[in-house]
Amino acid sequence: MLDIDAIRADFPILGRVLPNGKNLVYFDNAATSQKPQCVIDAMSDFYENYNSNAHRANHTLADEASSALENARSQISNFFGAKPENMIYTSGATEAINLVSYGWAKNNLHNGDVIVITEMEHHADIVPWQELSKEKGVEVRYVPINNETFVLDMEAFEIALEGAKLVCVTHTSNVLGIRNPIEDIIKMSKKIGCKVLIDCAQGAPHEKINFETLGADFLAISAHKMAGPTGIGCLLTSIERIQEMGPFMTGGSMIKKVTTDGSTFKDGHAMFETGTPRIAEAIGWGAAVEWLEQFKMEDIHNHVHEIASFAGNEMEKIPGIKIFGDPSNKDSSGAVSFLHENIQSQDLALLLDQGGYAVRTGHHCAQPLMDALGVPSTNRASFWIYNTKEEVEGFINHLKYICEKFG
Amino acid sequence: MSSLWPEHLDEIVEEFKDCFDSMERYELLFEYAKKNPKPLPEEEWTEENQILGCQSRAHVICLLNNKGLFVLRSGADAQIVQGLMSITAIAVNGLKPIEVSELTPAFVEEMGLKAALSPNRANGFLNMFNRVIKEAKILSET
Repeated sequence: MLDIDAIRADFPILGRVLPNGKNLVYFDNAATSQKPQCVIDAMSDFYENYNSNAHRANHTLADEASSALENARSQISNFFGAKPENMIYTSGATEAINLVSYGWAKNNLHNGDVIVITEMEHHADIVPWQELSKEKGVEVRYVPINNETFVLDMEAFEIALEGAKLVCVTHTSNVLGIRNPIEDIIKMSKKIGCKVLIDCAQGAPHEKINFETLGADFLAISAHKMAGPTGIGCLLTSIERIQEMGPFMTGGSMIKKVTTDGSTFKDGHAMFETGTPRIAEAIGWGAAVEWLEQFKMEDIHNHVHEIASFAGNEMEKIPGIKIFGDPSNKDSSGAVSFLHENIQSQDLALLLDQGGYAVRTGHHCAQPLMDALGVPSTNRASFWIYNTKEEVEGFINHLKYICEKFG
Repeated sequence: MSSLWPEHLDEIVEEFKDCFDSMERYELLFEYAKKNPKPLPEEEWTEENQILGCQSRAHVICLLNNKGLFVLRSGADAQIVQGLMSITAIAVNGLKPIEVSELTPAFVEEMGLKAALSPNRANGFLNMFNRVIKEAKILSET
């Protein structure tokens, strides 16, 4: 069991009073989570006490910074059931996916090869493949969702998989909260020798992701949705795949030697970590992982599921509200997308904000999914470890009031 | 025209200032959304009159009547934007275009709807307002 009061005490921002005098109720966790004090402190400690560039100099601070950067890599990779050499620091899941596209697919896929993605992908897992298609002539196949159950059409997936070289699927939809059957997807893909990328941006805050056990070729992860800072994430991949990759960006940390005749690059993950490393962010992410390790991810998922499921049930009772997704499904994440039939989504978000409720509004960087759902946008309340049933009850009351007054 | 907004807006500004809280203000704004003096119905929404940078759909047409005075026609799917545009239309319609070009959204802030003016909010009113001012400048030069 989680001690939610104790957990909330770790997050100073949760005590924030908004300019209109309302207490903040933060339901925008699928966009980014809040940060516990230990993450803020770890980053401040770096800047206050040992700020220095990493892997470049031979002084005490540089040694401390380099050690902290690599310790964080060990800690984070271990959290995801991987080894440090499997982990490439990126700016987030978006860059991780772009790294697979520009670093691996560009060098290993050819004209006519097939990439399978889904209708429920975030733009970050669509556009790199569209761009690659323009450049290399690869075919991109989209697997549809079932518009009634909101789950991936696995029969269509099986058909799309035929002859595919790469499958790119989100672990959990950032809009629908639906968790895809990634284990089946990986198994089916591997059976035909197809490589698999799983976008774990939404999955990582909700369940224990294990690189070794899952067996996917690439996992893309963002730190900031799992209590870590913004601006950092990683690509987890095998040594075999790394050896097949070419540099995505060049310069800085990835350089072995540069002469006027040309350049050579470092091997392994170092080849893909250009420029000055995100040292403070890596340290912050390490602290976030350490903070998360005091809990079982299963307990976090169960807590979030209980809240999301309660919210979904109560919201569905409000006349005019439609839910997109299935919050009552035990595998769903904490994202609950909804619309009111008469209140435009931007209006609804601003009215919710008047009560202190922070929810996301818009297309959620998933316009093909919006097209499939037949809506331009949705509102989305997304819950995490520190949210409470009492907050949801207040939210439901405020939502009811809005719907009665403005609907 | 007063220094900040046309005098005939004073009554509306006061009406908003008298509201008990922000929810009552938005309720009033929704009522104004239905009172647009020169609405632009959805059938007339085109790419040309669309306001870019809005997540909500918003459209404006600015023109001069036969006396050379300003006419603002507007439409939006978000009622908050629509309400603010109704009030803007009440403010600017019948003014000389040069007067419109000098208008600021200070009246919105005075009405207690400052949140609608943040460029970080994707509600689009500020984009619409800036478009009106820009078109008024062009019309004042013709």
